Amino acid sequence: MSFLGDVGREQQFDPFLVFREGFAFVPNLVQAQSALPRAMTAHAKLEEAVAFRDGAISRIHKERILLSIAAHRRDKYCVALDSGVLSSIGVPRVQIDDLLNDYRQAGLSAPDQALLEFCLRLSRNASSVRFEDIEALRTVGFGDQAIVEAVVVTALALYRGTLSVALGPEPDFKPLELPVANLRAGHEVTHAVGATGGRPKTERRGPYVPAPFLSRSTFPPFAIVEKSHGFIPNFFRAQTLRPDLLEAELDAVSLILLSEDSLTRAQKESILLAVSAANLNSYCVAVHCNLLRGLGLSAEQADQIAVDHHLSNLSKADIALLDFAVKLGTRFSEFSREDTAKLQTLGFKQEQILESIVVTALNNFSNTLQMGLGIEPDFEPPSVFEKNKVNLSGAQPTLMPREGVVHLVDTTQDADSEVVAQAQGGNLQAFEELVRRHTQLIYRALIAILGDTADAQDAMQDTLLSAFKHIGGFQGRSKFSTWLVSIARNAALQRLRGRRNTESLDQDDSQDDRDFRPRQIAAWQENPEQNHSKSEIRQLVERGLLQLPAKYRIIVMLRDVEQLSTDDVARQLGLTVPAVKTRLLRGRLMLREWLAPHLTTSARGAAQ
Amino acid sequence: MITCDEFFAEFADYLENQVSPEVRQELELHLSQCRACYVLYDSSRKTIKIVSESNSFELPQKVFDPIIDRVMSKLRTERS
Repeated sequence: MSFLGDVGREQQFDPFLVFREGFAFVPNLVQAQSALPRAMTAHAKLEEAVAFRDGAISRIHKERILLSIAAHRRDKYCVALDSGVLSSIGVPRVQIDDLLNDYRQAGLSAPDQALLEFCLRLSRNASSVRFEDIEALRTVGFGDQAIVEAVVVTALALYRGTLSVALGPEPDFKPLELPVANLRAGHEVTHAVGATGGRPKTERRGPYVPAPFLSRSTFPPFAIVEKSHGFIPNFFRAQTLRPDLLEAELDAVSLILLSEDSLTRAQKESILLAVSAANLNSYCVAVHCNLLRGLGLSAEQADQIAVDHHLSNLSKADIALLDFAVKLGTRFSEFSREDTAKLQTLGFKQEQILESIVVTALNNFSNTLQMGLGIEPDFEPPSVFEKNKVNLSGAQPTLMPREGVVHLVDTTQDADSEVVAQAQGGNLQAFEELVRRHTQLIYRALIAILGDTADAQDAMQDTLLSAFKHIGGFQGRSKFSTWLVSIARNAALQRLRGRRNTESLDQDDSQDDRDFRPRQIAAWQENPEQNHSKSEIRQLVERGLLQLPAKYRIIVMLRDVEQLSTDDVARQLGLTVPAVKTRLLRGRLMLREWLAPHLTTSARGAAQ
Repeated sequence: MITCDEFFAEFADYLENQVSPEVRQELELHLSQCRACYVLYDSSRKTIKIVSESNSFELPQKVFDPIIDRVMSKLRTERS
C-alpha cells in the first residue's frame, strides 16, 4: 500500500487491536468485512479517530449521538452495540432507555439536547442544514472544533448504519426492543420540513467553519491525496480545523478507493457518482464526474451516469451494481438480502459485493460531512444534472428512466438547433449558414493545435468537409458548436500526425519538470498596455502563443483567448479540471516569460 | 509565514480566485513580504489580462470566404 506513504506504520496497524481497545471486543459488523481486510483497516481508522476518544466533545456525547441516530434508523444491530458501549462507559441503563424513547426526556442539558437534535437532523435530512444551524450551536456554547467533530460522528453513524443494513450481522449484545414511539410522527425532527425548498440567493454560503491553511509540506497526507486525485478537493481542505480526523479520513479513502484488487476504480467512482446523484448532492456529483473523466470515461458518459445510469453504456452487470448501491445508499429500508443475491448471480464475487457496500457507506459518510459543513464545490456539476435536479424537486418526483436518448444538452438553449435540423435534412444553404456562424471558433481551435496560420487555413477546408459528411450523426448530446470544434480538433490532429517529430498532446504532465519555476523576476510596468499599440501587443501575444508547446497552447487559447470556463475547457478536451489547471498555469507562466523582456520597467524605454 | 514553495503550490487557484478566505489571507501575507512572489503574481495577472484582451487570431470574415466558397461549390458539385 505504497500510496499511504508510510509502509512501516501500516504494517504495525492492527484493526482488531483498535477495536479491542475501543469496544473491548471485535464487533460482528467488523468481522463481517473479513473478505476485504483493507475495509476493516479503513473502518478501524475512522472509529479510532472519531469515536473512541474524548475529543472536543466527550465519548459519552458521541455515543449518545450514535445511539440516537441508530434508533431513528431502527437499526437493531447498532442500537444494541451503542447501548452496550454506553453501559460499559458508565451511563445508567435508565438513561439509555430514555434516550431510546425520547431524548428530550433523558435529562440532557439544553446545549447537549441542541447538539443531538442537530446531529439527528443532519443524519435524516442533510440537505436541510444551513449556516444558521451552525450559528445556533455556537450560541449555546459549542466551539468549531466540537461542531466539526459532531458532524464527523454523525457521518460515522451513517457509515456504520449503511454497513449494518447491508451486512446484517448478528448483534453483539442482547438486542433491545425499539420503542414504538420512534415511529410516531411527533418524534420526527420537525424543522427540517420547509427548509428543503430553494435556497434564497442571499443565503450565507459555506464552508460554515473556518479551515486554517495547511500546506502539503506541513500536512503530508495532502501530498498523498494530491498525487492520487491530482488535486486536493475542498472536501478535505474544509476540515483542516481537525487534522486528526482528516488524516483518518484520508487513510480510509485511500484504503477503500485507490486499489484495483476487487472492484476497479472506475466502478467505485461510478457508484459514488450514482449514489451522489440520487442524493441530489451537486458537490459530490461534480467531483466524481471529474474523477471518472480522469479514469478514462468521456464527459458524456459521466454525465449520463449522473442523470440516469440505466441509459448509460455500462454493462448490464455494472448497471445492476449501481442499482444495488443506490438502493442501499438512499432507500435503505427497502434493501434486502435478495439484492445481494442478485449481484451474486450476475457474477460478482463476495469481496466485490462487500466493497460496493463499503464504498456506499463511504459515500453516505461524505455526503453527511459535505452538507453538514457546507463545503463548496471544486467544480461545476454538469448543467444537465442540475436541470434534472430541479425537475425532481417538482410535483412528481419520479426517477423513471426515460425512453430513448436523453438529450444531455437543452436543445432549446442551443441557438443552432433549428438550422442544424435543416442541414441534417440535406439543406446545403443551412449548412453554409452554420459554418459561417462558427468560422472564427473553428479557426482558433485549429490554430491552437497546429500553431501555424497557413496550416490552420488549410485544415479549415478538411474540417468543413468532414462536418458535412458527419452531421447526420450529430445527436444533440452536446451543443452544436462544441461538436463542430471536436470535428476541427480531429482534423487538426490528423494533420499534425502527418508531420514529422510531432509533439504529443496527451503526454503525462508528471513527466514534465514538476518544479516548473519562473526565471524572469524583474518587475513589470504599471500599465503595459498603455506603452504599446494594440496591434503591437496582439502580435506579441500571437507569437508567444505560437511558440508554446501544443498541449499548453490549446488550454491557454480556450481559457484566456476564447474565455471558456476551466470546466468547459476540461469537458471539451476530455481532461479533468485539475489537469487543465496544471497545464493552464504552465502555459500562462511560459507566456509570461515570453512577454517579460518587452514589458518590464526597464524595457519601457525600448518600447517607446 | 508560508514558504515560496507553499505559495507556488496554491498559485494557480489564487490566480483563478478559487481559494478559501483562510488560504487567501496566508497568500496575501506572503505577497506583502516577498518581492519575488509579488512580481510573479503581478506579471502573471497582467499576462492573463493582456492575452484575454488581445483579440488574438481574430481574422476578418472575408479571409474565410474563399475557403467556404470552395467547400460549398465542391459539395454542390458532388450533389449534382
